[in-house]
Amino acid sequence: MNLFQRYRKYTSVLLFAIFLTGISSLSVFAQNNNVSLYGRVVDEKTKDPLAGAVVHIKGTTHEVVADQNGEFKFITGQRVPVVYIVSFVGYKTREVPINSYGHADIDLQGGNSVLSDVVVVGYGTQRRSDITGSVASVNKNLLSQPAVSFDNLLQGSVPGVAVTQSSGQPGSTATIRVRGGNSINFGNAPLYVIDGFIIYNNNDYVNTGASTGASVNALSTINPSDIESIEILKDASATAIYGSHGANGVVIITTRRGKKGTDEINYSGYFGTQQVTKKLSLLNASQWASLVNDLNVSTGSAKTFSDSAIAALGAGSDWQNSALRKGNVQNHELSIAGGDDRSKYLISGNYFNQDGTILNTGFKRYSARVNYERNVSSRFKVSTNVFGSQSQENSLFGSAYNSINFSGAYPSLLLTSPVAKIKNADGSYNISSPYSTTPTNPLQDITATTNASKLTRVLGTIAGEYKLLKELTLKVSAGADLINTKQNYYAPSYTTNGYSTSGSASIGSATVVTWLNENTLTYDHAFGNTHFLNVLAGYTTQFEKDEFAVASAQKFPNDLTGYNNLSYAGTAVLSTSNGHSSAINSWLGRITYSYLHKYNLTLSERADGSSKLGANNKWGFFPAIGLSWNVDKEGFFEQVRKTVSNLKLRFTAGQTGNSEVPPYSSLATLTPTNYYFSNTLVTGIAPSQLANPNLKWETTTQYDAGFDLGLFNNRVNLVADAYYKKTSDLLLYVPFPLYTGYASELENVGSVENKGFELGLNTDNLRGSSLSWKSTVVFAVNRNKILSLGQGTSSYFPLAPTGQVSPVIVKVGLPVGTFWGYNTKGLLTADDIAKGVPVLAGVSQQAGDQKYVDYNGDGTVTTADKHDLGSSQPKFTFGFSNTLNYKNFDLSFFFQGSYGNRIFNLLQQKLEVTTTTLNASATLLNRWNASTNPNGTFPKAVNAPVPQVIDRYIEDGSYVKLKNITLGYSFSRGLISKIHAKQIRLYVSAQNPIVWTKYTGYDPEVNFYDNDNTKQGIDYGIYPSNKTFLAGLNVTF
Amino acid sequence: MQRISISVLSFLLPALILLSCNKLKETPNSIIVASQFYKTQADATAAVNAVYSTLNSDPAADFPIYGRDLNLLTGNGSDDQVYAPSNTNPDVRALGTTTYVAANDRVHKVWQQHYYGISRANVAIDNIPNINFDTTLRSRLVREAKFIRALLYFNIVRFWGDAPLVLHDPTTVDVNSLKTGRTSKDSIYRQIIADLNDATNLPKLYSGGDIGRVTSGAAHALLAKVYVTRRDWTDALTELQQVITTGTFAGTTGTYGYDLFAKFLDVFQQATKNGKEHIFSVQFGTNLGAINSTQSLSSANFSSFNTAVYPGDIPADSTLWKLFDSTDSRRSVTFYTSIYNAATGKTVVYPGAPRFAKFIDYSLSPLTSQGVSGINYPVIRYADVLLLYAETLNEINGAPTGDAYAAINRVRARAGVANLTAGLGQSDFRDSVFLERRKEFIQEGNRWFDLVRRGGTYLYDALKQIPAKTGVALKDTLYPIPQTEIDLVGAKLLTQNPGW
Repeated sequence: MNLFQRYRKYTSVLLFAIFLTGISSLSVFAQNNNVSLYGRVVDEKTKDPLAGAVVHIKGTTHEVVADQNGEFKFITGQRVPVVYIVSFVGYKTREVPINSYGHADIDLQGGNSVLSDVVVVGYGTQRRSDITGSVASVNKNLLSQPAVSFDNLLQGSVPGVAVTQSSGQPGSTATIRVRGGNSINFGNAPLYVIDGFIIYNNNDYVNTGASTGASVNALSTINPSDIESIEILKDASATAIYGSHGANGVVIITTRRGKKGTDEINYSGYFGTQQVTKKLSLLNASQWASLVNDLNVSTGSAKTFSDSAIAALGAGSDWQNSALRKGNVQNHELSIAGGDDRSKYLISGNYFNQDGTILNTGFKRYSARVNYERNVSSRFKVSTNVFGSQSQENSLFGSAYNSINFSGAYPSLLLTSPVAKIKNADGSYNISSPYSTTPTNPLQDITATTNASKLTRVLGTIAGEYKLLKELTLKVSAGADLINTKQNYYAPSYTTNGYSTSGSASIGSATVVTWLNENTLTYDHAFGNTHFLNVLAGYTTQFEKDEFAVASAQKFPNDLTGYNNLSYAGTAVLSTSNGHSSAINSWLGRITYSYLHKYNLTLSERADGSSKLGANNKWGFFPAIGLSWNVDKEGFFEQVRKTVSNLKLRFTAGQTGNSEVPPYSSLATLTPTNYYFSNTLVTGIAPSQLANPNLKWETTTQYDAGFDLGLFNNRVNLVADAYYKKTSDLLLYVPFPLYTGYASELENVGSVENKGFELGLNTDNLRGSSLSWKSTVVFAVNRNKILSLGQGTSSYFPLAPTGQVSPVIVKVGLPVGTFWGYNTKGLLTADDIAKGVPVLAGVSQQAGDQKYVDYNGDGTVTTADKHDLGSSQPKFTFGFSNTLNYKNFDLSFFFQGSYGNRIFNLLQQKLEVTTTTLNASATLLNRWNASTNPNGTFPKAVNAPVPQVIDRYIEDGSYVKLKNITLGYSFSRGLISKIHAKQIRLYVSAQNPIVWTKYTGYDPEVNFYDNDNTKQGIDYGIYPSNKTFLAGLNVTF
Repeated sequence: MQRISISVLSFLLPALILLSCNKLKETPNSIIVASQFYKTQADATAAVNAVYSTLNSDPAADFPIYGRDLNLLTGNGSDDQVYAPSNTNPDVRALGTTTYVAANDRVHKVWQQHYYGISRANVAIDNIPNINFDTTLRSRLVREAKFIRALLYFNIVRFWGDAPLVLHDPTTVDVNSLKTGRTSKDSIYRQIIADLNDATNLPKLYSGGDIGRVTSGAAHALLAKVYVTRRDWTDALTELQQVITTGTFAGTTGTYGYDLFAKFLDVFQQATKNGKEHIFSVQFGTNLGAINSTQSLSSANFSSFNTAVYPGDIPADSTLWKLFDSTDSRRSVTFYTSIYNAATGKTVVYPGAPRFAKFIDYSLSPLTSQGVSGINYPVIRYADVLLLYAETLNEINGAPTGDAYAAINRVRARAGVANLTAGLGQSDFRDSVFLERRKEFIQEGNRWFDLVRRGGTYLYDALKQIPAKTGVALKDTLYPIPQTEIDLVGAKLLTQNPGW
């Protein structure tokens, strides 16, 4: 009680002081003679004031914050001697003994303070030195790179986090794997925790099916420049607190907020231009005409083109180039942030606009954020984070990313004959190509088709924290994530997709609401200065509901209204709607204990109950243990301290889960079907899914051992980890004999392992007064292997598109995403035929045809000769980032790469299927021909050959990219103070200016099938990636 | 201060209690679960509609059995057609060149589609008797399901010979007990005959919104075809006499009023659907209640007015087209060399060999790639019955009777072809009937079955004539059991057909 009375008095004085500050000038306040303990906090090197630094009098509750000039003062009766504990984010905390009243100059050492930093972990923060698990922070420098979506910023940032862009489409999805994929069928993406709100990113939530083509990225709704820091939790000790969501790693995102003692207005913006990084080599008109003639010869028909006609054709039309342009990208952000002793706030607004490098595509976003927190009293704190955005993506149409069929606006363009004219003399599109199935034009299809997704997202949380006792805090938070999507599609009657239907329109709407309530009790107490105990217990509950509707219509009298008014249409298409709800209830707990900050223990658990699982297995329990030892705190370490400034050993083990199956996966469901009697539609209802009341979690057991090493006064910091993960009870579709009427049932069988090691190296290469240079290297190796697919199954082929052979296999002993096909060995010679070398069974093979390798040596080439042609999983990934400062200049550059991953170049395969109507790859120029090119390396021209999955199309996808290079200049403080600016920085930057790769497609970062884990690294004519050059400005007042 | 703490607690605690009651039991409202269903007359009807729908659609949105996939086995597998250059599916091509293997994806798909339909029928047959509603309708619905089950088993036993015979819904049994071997052809035929005999108690005809359902006439006609395939000529004759309209031939008692259309084209028109010649057809439609069917044979026939673009299927070689007299109206219905393009007002002439035309839906405007088509697929029609009748009389009597001639000549006359040469012996007449069947039923799912049921090396000899199919072997009179099934169940239990 005594304490509270003192606090009350103190509070009222403080309130009075704030009041005074409001009405009188600062200088008046500073002259207050009652102030006997005051001073100034500055940066050790630059001597710049550190506004917002916190000065605490040790052993008391007295704490003040330095103002804009770095100055602080205590209004207290405290008697000297006292000890100030001075701390500031990014600086080493210092204890300063004060023996006399009056002014004290305190300088703080910046930079390598990470070890005493506080790190955000699940449901709280922890001193970095006490952490037992593998927690990596994303380099701040990388966070400031221009990007549509923050998931792209994780690339190469942290060891063990692999990010692959699906395509170059603005706003496209990315595949993110932390320490490899655990699951074969479901949920391999990490969990995101944005200011405490749990988001399992599900791109299906923003894809209604009305619009076509590549999937829209739900994370693109979030403004990356709002992010203050990103922590990635990788091992079980760190992620088990997220239980059933933790198996794939956790990305903890903290957004920016104000600092105490300042009000800062900040503008940052950039403007740039982008272009495609590469173009494919295709046949030109005369080359293609000769090819058609060869095909005519091969089928015994008359040649289509005479020699003079071929010569007259020349280069013909460059369809590829016709749809490309230089696109602009711009981003503008205005924020005001600040705070006082009791409140902190940030208000920000953002506008982002990126024109795609393909006509009629792009991405635009408006967003705003308000973060606010206030200490209502010394015991009670409230806070809120509210974010809203509206974005629009105009994307290329085509078959849906997860569809089993291929079609795409861009591949269609590439496959269009160069002999066909793009435009007529009068500038209109040429629709009378002799090679197209309908009188349409593929370029016009791209420019005239509407294929847009409009996303609105509001993500807000409110939280209250109440100190029940000095050591015991109750925190209750409630949050909601609302995502609204509207998709519009219209193919006018003069486009290929709208031609047969006389205009085809589709609109889709999706509403997804997620509610989360979290209640935690935290007990935090230090027993003397020896035992540090933190106990967390909590109950959380989350509810998710999605609702979808799609309406379509066809046969429009004209193309004036398009998707805006379906009632103009002559034909309705059956509308669809859908909805699901799911819930998760969880009990969580964690004990962290540290003895002298030397020996640290973390015990954590989460019990999750998920509605999506079988009635008999709703609940799962996920425990973890972590131990760490700060060896450098031991007495015996003194001898080596000059070289080894820091050493910590970590060991953790634990289990996490994955239950990312769709709702109702365990129930015996019935599906509607349609039939017609007497020309009238009737509905049939039939079983579609077998019940499995035992459906349960996939469980990942993970072991991790690592060390943190600091050398030479922490100028060199190395973090190394080795891990082993085994995921069992995989959620697999176990095949049934088809005569049962069911193809499969979802069961928990089989297991997958991931093992690997990671290195993160931070070095302070140069630390001069005018020149400094810091580097970060991240390196990770992961090996993935399927251990079992359940009894009786050793392999299966994932669903292939109709008419295609699956290029991938899921097979015990191999990594998920292994390509499966034939080896080839040049071309068959007449000699080979005479000798009777093994040839492909069932096909007539002659000299000049592809020669396949009889892998099993049985004298003929059959599907049994197909074998492992490598995997889409890299052997290792790395990132190398550098920051240099010279006086007012700063330079940063960042390389990122991947080695040993393979890509199935399906587009190239398609471009090498020679027909008399479609264009082909320039590789065809070197086709074998008995008379004209007997040394050709490409098989002879055959009309519409069956494409085979061969080693030729399984390409090396290794690459090194210069992801970003930025040169900046910050104006001197003296110069800009005249306009009352605190900071002005100008910079120029290039993204992806250089890519080193052997891959022949557009970009080795490619994933036609998006997050489908079994079909990674397949390239079917994705949106080409681009390089960006931009200039930007940051101003802070 | 105290007040604040109390108000804080009074704010936090209710929030805690209110928000913390999410239930984990799933009660979906966007999808029906089994426990909610099979309770009413409407449920029973929907369950049987679902059985029908297995004939015109695929659960995985692949091509349907009738209207595409069945034809890959009966058409591409026969001497009627090969693949077109535009068809790059290696499994389809392999069927066209008789180089397919047990792992052929299309053979696997057709197998799956048949058992999928059988499973739906089993579900209906098992569940409907437990629902309490009008007993007449209840029996009718079960019999419709039995007809479709029999139809699908009839295809299975002809494609694969001995096969797993599943007659109940597997959801209620243990997974391991689902692993079963092959049941003998004779047992399967007994089941087919039993189901069809029950189905002969179905209504003779339907009105209004039920037109297109299975009739007793369809059951008799299919039963006749089963007996003919079994060479049980006496029983075949009895059944045929039930279908053939009274008074048209000696001994016929049919009261269904079946007859041939005056024009062959009307067999394949939207406007003449479910007409007097159609005994049982798989229903397709366009723009019915806002949904289109996927009659994919239409796109196998016609894909573009661009003459350089091939459709999915093309005739095996020019001999097929040359079989037809120039007066034969079936030639221009079965093949095209030119099509009128209403959009341009011009007739587009396709150079080279004629292409198939039966399933092009000319009623659609604009006539484009034929992704949709509303033409029904005839499973059994009166011309088939007449030709089976001619064949049966020829077999029973050791030589063609007058009625046998009359039956085949009715089919020929409708096509505009002169009567068959009189005075043929049994063997020559048999050949004539089979040739007539070939010309009449191109792309109608009969040719491969007819080649095989002639027995001996008939199929082998016929396919040897086609340059693309010289790889044919005697084993090809049965399709291989899909390799994946054998892998799952075990080669000991589920044995492979000889030669595969």
